[in-house]
Amino acid sequence: MTHLELENLVSEYLEGQLDVTRRLEFEAHVGTCPGCRELLVGVRQVIEYCREAEDPELAPWLVAKILLATIGERQPTLFERLAGFLRPGLQARVVYGVAMTVFSASIIINAAGINLRQFTLADLNPRTWVHRADRTGHLLYARAEKFYYDLRVVYEIESRLRQLHQQSGQESQGSSDQPGQPSKPDSAPGGSTDKKLPDDLQLARLAGVADSLPGLEGPSPDSVHGKRGTLQ
Amino acid sequence: MEHDLDLVKRCLGGQNPAWEELLRIHARKVYSVCYRFTGRGSEAEDLTQEIFIKVFQTLETYDAAQGTFSTWLNRVARNHLVDHYRRTRKDRVTSSLEDELGHLEEKPSAGAGPVARVEARERKEMLQAALDKLSPDMREAVILRDFQDLDYEEIAQVLGVPEGTVKSRINRGRLELARLLKRMDS
Repeated sequence: MTHLELENLVSEYLEGQLDVTRRLEFEAHVGTCPGCRELLVGVRQVIEYCREAEDPELAPWLVAKILLATIGERQPTLFERLAGFLRPGLQARVVYGVAMTVFSASIIINAAGINLRQFTLADLNPRTWVHRADRTGHLLYARAEKFYYDLRVVYEIESRLRQLHQQSGQESQGSSDQPGQPSKPDSAPGGSTDKKLPDDLQLARLAGVADSLPGLEGPSPDSVHGKRGTLQ
Repeated sequence: MEHDLDLVKRCLGGQNPAWEELLRIHARKVYSVCYRFTGRGSEAEDLTQEIFIKVFQTLETYDAAQGTFSTWLNRVARNHLVDHYRRTRKDRVTSSLEDELGHLEEKPSAGAGPVARVEARERKEMLQAALDKLSPDMREAVILRDFQDLDYEEIAQVLGVPEGTVKSRINRGRLELARLLKRMDS
């Protein structure tokens, strides 16, 4: 291999593109020729330096300058415009204020009974609001009361209390009907106004009152005489 | 590659964000080629802008069947650089190798000691100065191969010459650079 041939094959040798035969010839020549060996080292260094060199930094304004020259000044998109318009209103305190306003308004509208789908001028009258709010309040109270009394546990407790009251009433009535025992004072002179006592007890009470009055015929002469004798 | 094709289609559809993304992907590489070719940062910036304006105006002429967008872009860039070189050849003052030193565009390599960083910077400067001394044919071939890492087939498409010619230019360019660097060292 000559020097000229070696020069022409340096790049191919360094990039591994020579076949086996040519590569051996190349290496044999380099082994014996200091000039060609130095040339090979020099070319290898050039390739290394070139590949190690980093791309130069691009000035940041250059891309913007090219964009301006090609597509012109960038127009904001509809979304960007909307975002810019809404950005001041997206602060937390503004959002909170708006939310509370909407919430308060919805409570007022609901309490005032205003139907937004069938809105009339009368709905703007504050007297209408007060009237409807009052009516709504009463309705709510009635519903709550009904709900309360419909509860099973409340019903059970009330019926139980009623039974206890009836039992205690019967017991006290039974003890007052026995002789020698003071009768239970009636709330009214005409007799007991307890409407919950059975009818037979009421009649018995009335009979006792009638026997104490003169001129009235009783059911049996013995009982009457006995009582009359007592009275005389 | 498919991403570039999709961006080009969207650009042709009038979507400006697609053009912006295409620009951001390829701007640095084109600037690097311009800088390596001219050796001057300000000139490379102007050329980069001109190239992309030309790309924007002629985007509809890109044919995906003839190659990738990157290859087409490199071809447009190379043609523009050659035109610029021919236009400015008369204005260019022939300078000695030492006058071409002083391009401080590149950052020194991080992590190396101060002596190594100075040596690296000097080496980069000498390399660029030597590159400026090459003929445009060899210079563009070496830039595309050793700086942009394109393969021979792609370089042949960009330059519009056969692969054999590409290999020959690259080899001669490297040999010339080696001789120039050796001279600078001595």
